[in-house]
Amino acid sequence: MTGAKGRILGVALLLVAVMGATTALNPDFLGTGNLQNILRWTSLFGVLSLAAALVIISGGIDLSLGSVAALSGALTPWLLRHHGFSPAAAIAVLLLGCTLLGVLHGVLITRLKLQPFVVTLCGLLIYRGLARTLTGEQVTGYGTEHDDLRQIAIGRWLGLPVPSFVLLGIALLVQLFLSRAVAGRWLYATGRNPVAARLCGVPVDGVTTAAYALAGLLAGVGGVLFSLDLNSVTPAQFGQSYELYAIAAAVLGGCSLRGGEGTVLGVLLGTALIRVLYNATNLLGIPTQLEYAIIGGVILAGVVSDELLRRLRSRRTAV
Amino acid sequence: MKLSIVCTALLALALLPACSEGGKSDGKGSAVKLAFVSNGVDPFWTIAGAGARKGAEEAGAEAIVRFPNEGIPDQQRIVEDLVSLGVKGVAISPIDSVNQRSFLDEVAGKTHLITQDSDAPDSKRLCYVGMDNYAAGLLCGALAREALPEGGEVMIFIGRIEQENARRRRQGTIDGFLGRKPDPARFDEPGQPQTEGRWTVLDTRTDAFDKARAKANAEDALVRHPDLDAMIGLFAYNVPACLEALRGAKKLGAVKMIGFDEAEECLAGIADGTVVGTVVQNPFEYGRESMRILAGLVRGDRSVLPAGGVLEVPARVIRKAEVASFRATVKTQLAAGR
Repeated sequence: MTGAKGRILGVALLLVAVMGATTALNPDFLGTGNLQNILRWTSLFGVLSLAAALVIISGGIDLSLGSVAALSGALTPWLLRHHGFSPAAAIAVLLLGCTLLGVLHGVLITRLKLQPFVVTLCGLLIYRGLARTLTGEQVTGYGTEHDDLRQIAIGRWLGLPVPSFVLLGIALLVQLFLSRAVAGRWLYATGRNPVAARLCGVPVDGVTTAAYALAGLLAGVGGVLFSLDLNSVTPAQFGQSYELYAIAAAVLGGCSLRGGEGTVLGVLLGTALIRVLYNATNLLGIPTQLEYAIIGGVILAGVVSDELLRRLRSRRTAV
Repeated sequence: MKLSIVCTALLALALLPACSEGGKSDGKGSAVKLAFVSNGVDPFWTIAGAGARKGAEEAGAEAIVRFPNEGIPDQQRIVEDLVSLGVKGVAISPIDSVNQRSFLDEVAGKTHLITQDSDAPDSKRLCYVGMDNYAAGLLCGALAREALPEGGEVMIFIGRIEQENARRRRQGTIDGFLGRKPDPARFDEPGQPQTEGRWTVLDTRTDAFDKARAKANAEDALVRHPDLDAMIGLFAYNVPACLEALRGAKKLGAVKMIGFDEAEECLAGIADGTVVGTVVQNPFEYGRESMRILAGLVRGDRSVLPAGGVLEVPARVIRKAEVASFRATVKTQLAAGR
């Protein structure tokens, strides 16, 4: 069994264990409505997790994802309701803008050789400030308008939340990119060893920039979906710490912060596990102040057990 | 190296005016500067800020309105900067009145300090402008009880309960709903259902100001308690979050919704009957009265201080009949403080 498969199996088992334990304590967990809720939240956060994963696989980090999501999330209703944009035009403009922000990150990192942590940390601050300034620090929302558009986030199709189909589509595209496209191979190679990759002819700078651009695009998509779901976005608060949830889900799902490792399925399972844990704290009546500790503890347990299993495997191989 | 330092300094100077939140100079360079500091960012504070600007204008002063967004460190840094800037008075809504006491006392030693929205009665603040959150909570609880005359089970949703005003508001709501004898010193631990006769408060869920979390909390409550009779949202954004959850579960109108503050979705819900009513404060008057008092203190007029150190700006209930006139009032207030 390869490391990636083992990691996917590990997080899947952890997910099943948490779901089993929650069901045993409260059978309502398996109710259709609850599973639909979990699936919807997993889909919304999953888009951001995939964004984080792409950058992590390339060997970088993107701390600006939550703020980029806040920017696109706050500006979607703002453009629609206050500036007369059509939904298609507003979303196209915002997604293009978010992609360009990613390109900017990539250029600053590859051309000016700035550290990804610093560049995206500055992005985190700048885009939050932009969202607050452009909206005049006002809560933005769709009110009772654009109900059709909002179905992308709150609607159901074939009994499943529509966002789950959006995530499925994105996940398939990312998976195809990572496993079938040459650029996907380059991404892993860049993350694993950028010097060796460059020597082998991989356009490392272009690949890195593309990873940040895709992350910006996906964060923009995530922001739009969240705003459609919540119908109300406070620019100062929306999306705060979401980049950390995304990074946590990616790491839990098998991405290594050293780069060059990670799978789409693992990241989706990692996201689902975090959302299930949040849901379980509510369904089991665990005080909300404990939920961060529980989620942090489970992520740590997952990562530690994976590391121990990896060492055990390598020891057996050595023997 | 020197060039980079010069560039950074120039950039910082260029950005400085942009950092000011409504601190626009009206050209009266000599106008007394008074600070109005919130405990966060919210439409509620936009209205309060408008009131502060209006109050300062009426008093011939200049209001510097600031909305800290990152909790206590951010709030304290902002106040320290304002004091360094030479403001002659500060009206603040302390985030944690008990543990910020020494900080507040330090500020009170340097400038005129009053509290608004949330009080710090043990500090050296000169007075408090606002409502009694416990009393407002009682109003909210009574509104929920009125919506469920035969009894029922409710869940409470709130951003956090660490801060004084939130804790008192929640407790007032519980006591009002359960019909208990008022006792502001009482505190019911979250997680423990509270029952009096046919009325039960099942739990209080917090969300740390994350709207997605607020909505998920409401959704999960509907799963855990399928027979829930009512939801009470105690922070402004909790009402829209609960309404979205109810809409998703197709229980809009079936589960009673009782609100606090004046989020647009809450007012729209009252108008269309999906929200029973809401308890509103008067943030505009918080701002306006705070500036009037501070300007008076700067002039040396201590008669502006209210008797007992508390200027009560009472909360009131908005039901369907009052919602149109209330919306019009808020619109006028916002326009007045531009």
